[in-house]
Amino acid sequence: MEPVRGQRITVEVNGERHERDVEARRLLVHFLRDDLDLTGTHVGCDTGNCGACTVILNGVAIKSCMLLAVQADGTSVETVEGLSPDGELHPLQEAFSSFHALQCGYCTPGMLMSAKHLLDHNPEPTEGEIRRAIQGNICRCTGYVNIVEAIASAAKGGRR
Amino acid sequence: MLLAEVEYARPSTVEGAVRLLSSHAGARPLAGGQTLTNVMKARAAAPDVLVDLNDLEELRQISRTADGGLELGAMVTLSELIRSPDADARPILAEVAAQIADVQVRNRGTIGGNICSNDPTNHLPPVVAALGATMTIRGPDGERTVTAEEFFVGVYMTAVAPGELMTKLTVPAADGARDGFASIPIGRDGTCICNAAATVEDGQARIALGCVAAVPVVLSSTAEEDAVREAVRGADLDPPSDVHASDDYRRHLAEVVALRAVQQAAG
Amino acid sequence: MSETTVTPDQPITVEREETAPGFIGVNVPRKEDKRLVQGEGVFVDDVKRHGMAYVHFVRSPYAHAAISRIDVSKAMAREGVYGTLIGEEVAAETDPFFQIAPPPAGELKDYALAVGRVRHVGEPVVAVAAASRELARDAAELVEVDYEPLEPVLDPEHAADPGAPQLHDEAPSNTIWQGNFDYGDYDAALAEADKVVRIKRLHFHRFSSTPLETSGAVVEYNRGTGQWTIHSNNQFPGFAIIMMAPALKVGMDKLRFVSQDIGGGFGNKICTHVQLVAMCLLARKLNRAVNWTEWRTDQHTANSHGNERVFLDVEVPVKADGTMLGFKARAIDDCGAFTRYEPLGCIIWAQVTPGVYRWRNVRLDFTQVCTNKSPCGPNRGYSRMQHLWFTERVMDIVAQELGADPVEIRKRNYIRADEMPYETPNGCVYDSGDYARCLDEALELIDYGSIDEKRRDAESRGKLLGVGIGSTLDSGTNNFGQSTIVNPELQFSGNNEVATVKLDIFGEVVVTLGTTPQGQSHETTAAQVVADILKVSPEDVNVRAGHDSYWNSHAGFSGTYASQFAVTGLGAVKGATEMLAEEIKKIGSVVLGADSPDDVELEGGFVRRKDNPEAALPFMACGAIVNANNAVLPLEYRDITLNCRYVYVPPHQLPDKERKYGNLTLTYANQIHACVVEVDPETGVYEIVDYGAVDDCGVRINPLIVEGQVHGAAAQSIGAATHETFPYDEDGNLLTPNFYDYHVPHALDMPPLKTTSIESPSPFTPLGAKGMGEGGGAGISAVGSALQDALRGSGKPVVTNSSNPYHRVWELLRNPEESRALVEVEER
Repeated sequence: MEPVRGQRITVEVNGERHERDVEARRLLVHFLRDDLDLTGTHVGCDTGNCGACTVILNGVAIKSCMLLAVQADGTSVETVEGLSPDGELHPLQEAFSSFHALQCGYCTPGMLMSAKHLLDHNPEPTEGEIRRAIQGNICRCTGYVNIVEAIASAAKGGRR
Repeated sequence: MLLAEVEYARPSTVEGAVRLLSSHAGARPLAGGQTLTNVMKARAAAPDVLVDLNDLEELRQISRTADGGLELGAMVTLSELIRSPDADARPILAEVAAQIADVQVRNRGTIGGNICSNDPTNHLPPVVAALGATMTIRGPDGERTVTAEEFFVGVYMTAVAPGELMTKLTVPAADGARDGFASIPIGRDGTCICNAAATVEDGQARIALGCVAAVPVVLSSTAEEDAVREAVRGADLDPPSDVHASDDYRRHLAEVVALRAVQQAAG
Repeated sequence: MSETTVTPDQPITVEREETAPGFIGVNVPRKEDKRLVQGEGVFVDDVKRHGMAYVHFVRSPYAHAAISRIDVSKAMAREGVYGTLIGEEVAAETDPFFQIAPPPAGELKDYALAVGRVRHVGEPVVAVAAASRELARDAAELVEVDYEPLEPVLDPEHAADPGAPQLHDEAPSNTIWQGNFDYGDYDAALAEADKVVRIKRLHFHRFSSTPLETSGAVVEYNRGTGQWTIHSNNQFPGFAIIMMAPALKVGMDKLRFVSQDIGGGFGNKICTHVQLVAMCLLARKLNRAVNWTEWRTDQHTANSHGNERVFLDVEVPVKADGTMLGFKARAIDDCGAFTRYEPLGCIIWAQVTPGVYRWRNVRLDFTQVCTNKSPCGPNRGYSRMQHLWFTERVMDIVAQELGADPVEIRKRNYIRADEMPYETPNGCVYDSGDYARCLDEALELIDYGSIDEKRRDAESRGKLLGVGIGSTLDSGTNNFGQSTIVNPELQFSGNNEVATVKLDIFGEVVVTLGTTPQGQSHETTAAQVVADILKVSPEDVNVRAGHDSYWNSHAGFSGTYASQFAVTGLGAVKGATEMLAEEIKKIGSVVLGADSPDDVELEGGFVRRKDNPEAALPFMACGAIVNANNAVLPLEYRDITLNCRYVYVPPHQLPDKERKYGNLTLTYANQIHACVVEVDPETGVYEIVDYGAVDDCGVRINPLIVEGQVHGAAAQSIGAATHETFPYDEDGNLLTPNFYDYHVPHALDMPPLKTTSIESPSPFTPLGAKGMGEGGGAGISAVGSALQDALRGSGKPVVTNSSNPYHRVWELLRNPEESRALVEVEER
């Protein structure tokens, strides 16, 4: 095996298979945004702190700015664009809107993916568990108050 | 920001990884990437080759040793550690892992990565030093096991030489010993300003101070308050000054967290 | 004492019944949400153009240096590099940016790239454009720049010292502006005082709201028409165009600003006209679209900070009963390496000269200096926040020194509800408010009645508990005439905002705004106002997302900043919709055979006769007649267009430049916050364990949205009070250039945040609403006040800094004498 400068990768994103040639150094977040035109996942920082780039890879929430696209070869990735495949909003998306859990909307995709990951693994989280689940997602607009309420409401399957 | 050009390989065996690391100057192992990618984005380091360890199942194992201790593969993620029932052999490990950053980081970040990056503010180096854990390193010339003291060499530097990689962490059985950890982070689960781990057995404490020197500072004392304070003061610490703490403040906090770690251990 | 209650000459109000209580005050779901929750928003980096170049700036590693050589040849030799831009080219092709400051500082030269000299770490020196982001970054490393370092100026308190290095030859003593403000009769107040409290130094620190989306732009140049299209997240295009057009030596219409979604602004995206000029030059030079996406590190080091301000030699005359008669102080404000929006900050604080208090005698010597740090910009709470914090600190420190009850002394000194509208010592008119009531509600939220019990409980756990109070005023709808107080030669005054509302051929209602929302829900609240007037549902109102100069829906001051949308933006929407309603009624009356438009009314998408509701015309028919069937109309009705443009202009007057006197903003929303902290005396580590915020912004168009703003402002002020700070080392390097070291509140850092509100309608605005949203200062004061209270049993240290991270609290605990030495009480 020899190291390569770039390679052809196959990534399944929101159920759709994509094959592309990428440089080894390309970050997954830029692969999604620039190569696949899935601009819902955002970049907010340089140090992996803000979580705006959060996606779910093989069922696990990760920050896509700290993964190389080549590392996603052969994996299945879920992004915000996959939450409402037929145009019908996911309960989390509905709840975020009902509870005014977004203002500028920039952190929202990452926040939704972290919330989805939480509810996929813990359908009835406490408030503390919700906050812990989104601890890696910075929001500068909302103070997190309504975000926590929205996630709690989506967990109970209800809405305001 | 963005990485410089780099070559990439993802071996499927540890031998393959060692071969790649030792045959390419400027090759570095890529574990969870939660530290290395950021370092590369800032172009503070620019390895020529990244050897991705994420396919090495051999390094993802968690098992009990015969004497009731714990063996953790270097590529075990923090989340896997937290979830593992076997980790109960030394509960402090999972307790501390759960305080690191956030769930996304814990899902990729590895035990090996946290230990090998040896950032003075990391959580696991003082913990493993206090527990008296050992690290197994494999290189082209074979495998060796070193103590924590031997392992942590300097800021961002460990005994893992170019061409080598850490394969596992071995933690001795508790055997009546109890562990504690205390830290002062910036905000909840943020970077540590000061931290300390302690193992107490029969009234004797082994304390490891983080954040105050290039490597964890290991001290011994009895578990009484005065003795612990004495030991920390006697260590003549010369901690760094930075935006979060002056050297004075860090020195003071070291004493506090050391004591709290011991008190948590002593129960 | 002079009469302070003012009756407005012409109240520009609408009785609540006139706009039926349909959608004002209702939590209408947001129109913005559907696209944003699906990741279908269009933020600037989502905009792509064929053949687009990506730009990376080579930035100065020095705080202060002369540039002796720039060589881009190695970068240009790399395949995929399209071109570069250096300061020499910028100086040849553009004029320096217009300066607000009067001479001599107003002569300083500020260009889109460094010309000959760099003045802060991170200042852009060379722009490199390449085929990919990575290539641009790589090529930037190949650019060679030689610097000759100069000594930096980093301490605003000594920037004007003789012998200090000069940043700008045109600004002697690094002084941008100096002015004396003297209101009432301070000397008489001093003579009348029973006690005088003196505070040597109060310091407000540098930080910023660090929006999650960094600044950026995609700029295209049309060689045929000479027009630039600037997709950017700049939040004040009115200002940007005024600054950029003369610099680029083109007419203003050659700069088309377009934005749809912006990921937070908070004032941080006002001064990017500088980088945008570089982008415009590159787009023209390379004949391709260029993309610039600011890195987080660059946003922290080289975009804009909130101003640092220090208050020295503070003096407060007080009566025995705790009435505070006024204050005197010397303020030094640090605007960083360049001015840009400054020195407007030197007057903007005066919108809230007395804060929320009734003192009438104020003497302030205000100086603004430049330093080799990041330039400052109008960060959320701009200039008022620093001043309001100062007034709150004074109140809190005086209360402690006099042993006064912190609640009673505030109520004694608050401006009272029955004094509203209240004219402040420098002629600003606070429209309405009931601060005492807000305080009571805030204290209720944190269960103030049981504080003693909580204190004992905390003590039993080894913790020190403290309660603090803070307040803020959101002065909104600026009168830009205040700029003439800072520079009498300027020709700016008043304010404006534009909206258009039209009825399309199929009866669709379409609205355009001149604003650039970054999360403030303008589309939704505009729809609520329109729906109310046209008697339709907000779902039927289409509000175009974002901003576009091509809509001709903007004026000189268009943008989203300074807490004013509810007044200016919605005022424009109201005006345009009322025009449209009148036109619809005219069409309806003539088609339905009524005698006059007063004989018809609007309801449910129809215009109908009041005397016979069955005789009704759907909006669609009106639209069709005017657009495609207008021969059916009598001649005198053919000037109806059903396309109405309205410019809202607030009733501002020119201020008195000599006396520095006049009403500087139209509305004054307020917030009172209360918080409870627990301090670990061993370490100085503290936790905010309870927090209450009460807001009053007059009539709330959408209460849920208002509450969201309060949450966000509280979170930002908690961040600023605790860990958010932009300190520098002795070489001028920013020590917190990323989110790793600059810790903002995450979900687990937030205290339980409880809010409530009251509504004191403004008598001066179209809807009785007031602008709100900046609100950031209250939390900084509340946290500082709570810490001082918690620590009073440990030597009564005095909190004199706005930034109180753990190490500072530890210092206060360890060494209370140091802070106590800053305060002195003179008994008369």
